[in-house]
Order: sequence, then structure tokens, then C-alpha cells
Amino acid sequence: MVSAMTAPGTGALSIDAPATGSDAELIERSRDDPEAFGALFDRYSGMLYRYVSRRLGPEAAEDLVGETFLAAFSRRDRYDVAQGDARPWLFGIATKLVSRHHRTEGARYRALRRSPVEGPVEGPADRVANGVTATASRPALSAALARLPRRDLDVLLLVAWGDLTYEEVARALGVPVGTVRSRLNRARRKVRAALGDTNPMHEEE
Amino acid sequence: MDDLGMLRDLGGELEHEPPASLARQRRRLADAAAGTVRVRGARRPGRWGLFGAVAAGTAALILVPSVLLSAGGGADPARHADPAAGAGTAMNLLLVGSDARRPGPARADSVVLAHLPADRAKVSVVSLPRDSKVRAPACGHPAGGGPRAAGTARLGAVYAAGGTSCLVKTVQAMTGVRVDRTMVIEFDGFRRMVDALGGVEITMPRALADRNSGLRVHAGHLLLGGAQALAYARARHLPGSDGSDLDRVGRQQRLMAALVGQAKREQLRNPVRFASFLKVAAGAIEVSPKLDLAGFRSLADSLGRTGADDVRIGVVPSRPDRADPLLLAWDQPAASRLFAEFEAGG
Repeated sequence: MVSAMTAPGTGALSIDAPATGSDAELIERSRDDPEAFGALFDRYSGMLYRYVSRRLGPEAAEDLVGETFLAAFSRRDRYDVAQGDARPWLFGIATKLVSRHHRTEGARYRALRRSPVEGPVEGPADRVANGVTATASRPALSAALARLPRRDLDVLLLVAWGDLTYEEVARALGVPVGTVRSRLNRARRKVRAALGDTNPMHEEE
Repeated sequence: MDDLGMLRDLGGELEHEPPASLARQRRRLADAAAGTVRVRGARRPGRWGLFGAVAAGTAALILVPSVLLSAGGGADPARHADPAAGAGTAMNLLLVGSDARRPGPARADSVVLAHLPADRAKVSVVSLPRDSKVRAPACGHPAGGGPRAAGTARLGAVYAAGGTSCLVKTVQAMTGVRVDRTMVIEFDGFRRMVDALGGVEITMPRALADRNSGLRVHAGHLLLGGAQALAYARARHLPGSDGSDLDRVGRQQRLMAALVGQAKREQLRNPVRFASFLKVAAGAIEVSPKLDLAGFRSLADSLGRTGADDVRIGVVPSRPDRADPLLLAWDQPAASRLFAEFEAGG
């Protein structure tokens, strides 16, 4: 009796099935049928949690993910349904909420700057080399993050940790793509400079 | 490795996997979806909105018969013959999901009290767990359910022993709420309603299997047929569930809400299928005192403007009884306060 939404023979139901349907369709539907919004949570809460846990740690992340969906839910009427993918929208909301915790975030990176390198690195030679590089560079990296202006940091981390494209970051933050590019370049320049100080193995691009 | 690569590595080290407790955040969202934040007064009465995702815009059980019938549409106004069911009159409904498939007395699997104020601006729906501890009524001598302390009974057993009229008396005595009409949906009727609709779409957070009910579903967004939908509503012992009646009540409400949403969509998308669904629904629901189709429509029309955020769905506040932990004792005075609104609400 149970069929996956993609199974053939489900008739009219499968046409707009949420499993295959876009986020925009879900959001549109949730305007009349609020429960539909829960499916968005099921789709993206894990992804957002991972992203926020990187920036703020696990304790703050849980609550913040909840806040993100509450905020998104209350703004669902204003969602542009021409945008099929809701990730940029959700990342944008989460990022704004993260900025309220900028002290926590800064403290987190500064703590990393001081924390010792963990355990020996094992594995194939190239991975060891990379691993050594990455772990050795961690203090410098986190120090650089702690010093970045928030706007630049948001762009950098949406790209590096949120895996958004430039266009998606632009949507998330409500700024032109050109602005995204310039902020990202500026942020990366600073990060590279910080790494260059301590990491002779680093190759400039 | 370039700077972005190193940054990604660092991110990977910092990352945490979503904990199981993240589900709590989904519940917060569900509460918001149920519009529970709008509850009047500072105090949230009992467990309003605990199962909020269910709001789906509609007091599930009521709306299956009524809103859907209104949609059945084209209703000619001349047939609005039963003003008692229409707007202008406050109404309390007792809704019973009944299991009459097996020989012997029918068993209530879900009991819901709904209040429709005169202006229909808000609708309140409260589930009464069948494990609720009630004062044993004179009308029914609960046979099943094991020995109980003298004078007490299980709400579900009252229905099994004394039928709808006895259930009404008991609920009226327990809540102080006058019951104007009862609507009984037999589960087989429910199954047929779901099938008539072509199934119901619902999201399963995890795969579930239960031998007793025959439930077997995988995680994700699914299309449940009637039999599986019924099993989902009825299953008692599921992994990740606390096995309580409340857990089951939550599933039933979710399902009913999904069903209403589904029906509304079908109404637009597939009028033929929707019409056949209506016919099945009308036949599957037994209303007392009897409500003819015109009365149904009149009731439904009066609810036509009651929106998603205007329906509050909750469960009567309760906790395991001290003497018999298998029973749920209602929290007082929270429960009384809750039902006071049913009378005062107009």
C-alpha cells in the first residue's frame, strides 16, 4: 500500500509530489497548509545544523536552527516562489541569526588559535602532508577568521562551509553578485596573508 | 591545498552531526504552524499545540466531513435548510474514531472534542486520550481493560461498553461541556476515504514497522494508501515512540491534517476523484443527531472562512495516574480552564 512518491501509477498525486517537487512548491503550499513547512525542516535542518555548528558550536546551533525555521515560517508569504531552491533563503536567515552571536563566534575562533594540535596524523603520504599542513595552519586560520569583518566572514563561510555558489550567496545576503565577489576576494586575501606568515608549504594561487 | 581547502578542512573538524534532540526544534515549528502562539492570555492552557503540525489549517476531524463537503460545492443555497448547523450558533462536537471491524463492541481509537464558536472565527479541538481516567458512568460497565480502582474507568472502555450515548454522558460530566452533536468515523470508512483520495501524502521522519498493526513504511515523503494510513494512526508500539496513547494521538492528528490538505489539493487538481471522495466520506461518517446533506453543507459553509491559523489543536493536559500509571489523569485545574472556553467562547 505504500509507494514512494516517484513510483509510477500514483496518478495525479505524483505530479506535484513534494519529494520531487521544489522547495518553492512546498513553501507555496504551506501558506494554506502550514504542516507542509515541516517537510522543509526535514530536508534542510541537518544541513543548517552542520553549518551553524561549525560557526557557533553544537549547543547554540540547535536553538539557532529552530529559530531559523521559525523566522522562515513567519516570512513564508514573502518567499519568491520563482526561486525553486530554498537553501540560499534559509542560509541567509541562519547567517543573520548567527551574527547576533558574533561574540560567541569570535571567542570560538580565538580559542582554536590557542588550542594545541590534536594527535598524530596517519595515512598515505600525501594525506599526511595535507593533514600536517591543515592542522599546522589551524591557529593562523582561526586567528584570521576571528579578525575578519563580519560581512566578509559571512561571504567566505557561506562559500567554504555552506557550499553556496556566488549567486546563491548573493541571494542569501541580499547583495549583488559583484559585492559577493569583492568581499570574498578581500577575505581570502587576508586569510592567505595569515597563512603565508606561518605556512611555507602554501602556494599562492 | 589552497586557502579554501584548508578552511573546509577546519570546518570539517569543527562540525557536529545533528543530534536527535533537533526534533525538539521541529516541534517548535509545529507549534508555530498550529498558530498556538495566539492563545489568548499569558498562560498556555495545557498542551495546546503540542501536536501542532497537525493544524494544516483545519480541525482535521471536523473538516473531513464539513469543509470538504462545502467544497463539494455548487451547493444550491436553497438547500441550506438546517440553520442549527450553520453560523450564528455555537456548537460543540464530539468526534469519535471508532473501530467496529471486529465482532463485539466497537472501540474508540480516538475521541476529540471540538468547539465552534458562534462566529466561527476560531475553532478549538482537544483530543481526549482513550486512556484518560474517568469517573465510571452508570450507563456503561466497562468490561475490558483490566481491573480499575472502584469508581474509575478508562474513557475508551466507556465507549466500548456503553456506546456513543454513554461516551457523551461521560465526556459531558468530565468536561462540563455540553455536546451538541457526535460524529463517528469508523476506521474502515477512514481507510476507504483515504483510498478514494488516492492516498495521503505524509512525511515520515524515520522508517517504521509494526507487526500488530501491519504498518511498514520507509522514511521520507510517502504516499500512504488507506490500509497503511490506518495502521499508522493505530500503531501503538513504534520504535522511537514512548508507546503512549499521546504519541498515537499525535500521529492521528498529523494524519487527519494531512488528509485534509490532500483533499483540498485534490479538489483543485482532480474534481472527479474529489467527488467520489466526498461520497465515501459522507457515507463513512455517522452523525447524531442526524445531519442531512444540507445540514452538513450549512455547517461546512459556516466554517468556510475559518482559516489555518484560526484552529487550535491540542490534547487535554494530563499525566500518568498515581494509582494506575496506565491511566492518564487530567491535570486540574488546567483541564477545567481549557473546557471553560468551550462554554464561554460564544
